[in-house]
Amino acid sequence: MTDSELIQAVDAAIVEAFEIAPERLKPEANIFADLGLDSLDVVDLVAVLQKKFGVTIRDDERIRSVRTIQDLHQYLLTIQAEQRKS
Amino acid sequence: MPSFLQIVCLNAVFWPLYIAVTAAFSLAAVPYVTLFALCRRDRRRTLRLIRMAIRHYGAAVLKCGWPLVRVKYVDHAPQDAPPFVVAANHRSASDGYLMACLPYECIQVVNVWPFRIPWLGTVAKIAQYLSVREMPFEEFLSKGSNLLSQGVCVISFPEGTRSASRAVRSFHGSAFRLAQRARVPVVPMAIAGSEEIPRRGTLVLRPGRIWVHKLPAITPGDYKDLSPFQLKTLVRQKIETHLRRVENA
Repeated sequence: MTDSELIQAVDAAIVEAFEIAPERLKPEANIFADLGLDSLDVVDLVAVLQKKFGVTIRDDERIRSVRTIQDLHQYLLTIQAEQRKS
Repeated sequence: MPSFLQIVCLNAVFWPLYIAVTAAFSLAAVPYVTLFALCRRDRRRTLRLIRMAIRHYGAAVLKCGWPLVRVKYVDHAPQDAPPFVVAANHRSASDGYLMACLPYECIQVVNVWPFRIPWLGTVAKIAQYLSVREMPFEEFLSKGSNLLSQGVCVISFPEGTRSASRAVRSFHGSAFRLAQRARVPVVPMAIAGSEEIPRRGTLVLRPGRIWVHKLPAITPGDYKDLSPFQLKTLVRQKIETHLRRVENA
């Protein structure tokens, strides 16, 4: 999957899981303050992403520092790059 | 716009009355409840008595500011039967007392600091209020479900903190997940007018009218296909829409 395909897939997963309007998924949008997700929703989001992309991120400390949509994109791009190397 | 004299009179009367009411309830309720508990040895009925006493105490406090502070409760769906999870917007420190308007046996979900209030915090703990950030989430679900199964309504302020304005902040989903786990209705409550009574950061009350609107319940049938995020978004929208309607009227 290319980087832009991955970003589109991540956004599509969020739209589907939370019914958030796609235009609200701006890179600078804060997933808590702007999109209204809480810590429990993030757990659900992690489960959705794990299922969709076949990755294990629940125990990854780096997910805790994700705050914006751009952070989330960057995090999953990093995971994808790590998977390619291994 | 209230005058300076009105503000002074209100606070000069309210706070001594508040202290007197708190002392009177404490002096009357503690021995009565203790005697009841010893004689009846029925934990469930004792807890119901304690929660009823808390409700009457709250109702008495709400009257301490009369006539400069008036509270009006409107039930838009009196046919809705408890138990339910109540989700209310949160503008002021007085919102917890406003829940005395509800004619049901209730506990409140609190966010740490109410449990730290001398004496009142102790009573809240005895009444099994839930301090959601001081327990694992599964424990919150378990205790909350148990209370709901006993017919006790669970009141929450999903914004988690006072908005201190007319804006409704984003909601945390704990209470909605509890409702879905326990399969009980969610009742949105819209509170208008409390943001000045008192304002955030001060104990000075300002004269005004507070409206507490109990909106129609969202039943398990209504939310069966909704995720917790979608349910909390729906409830928040209903509260926001109602507040916009009543405050712009």
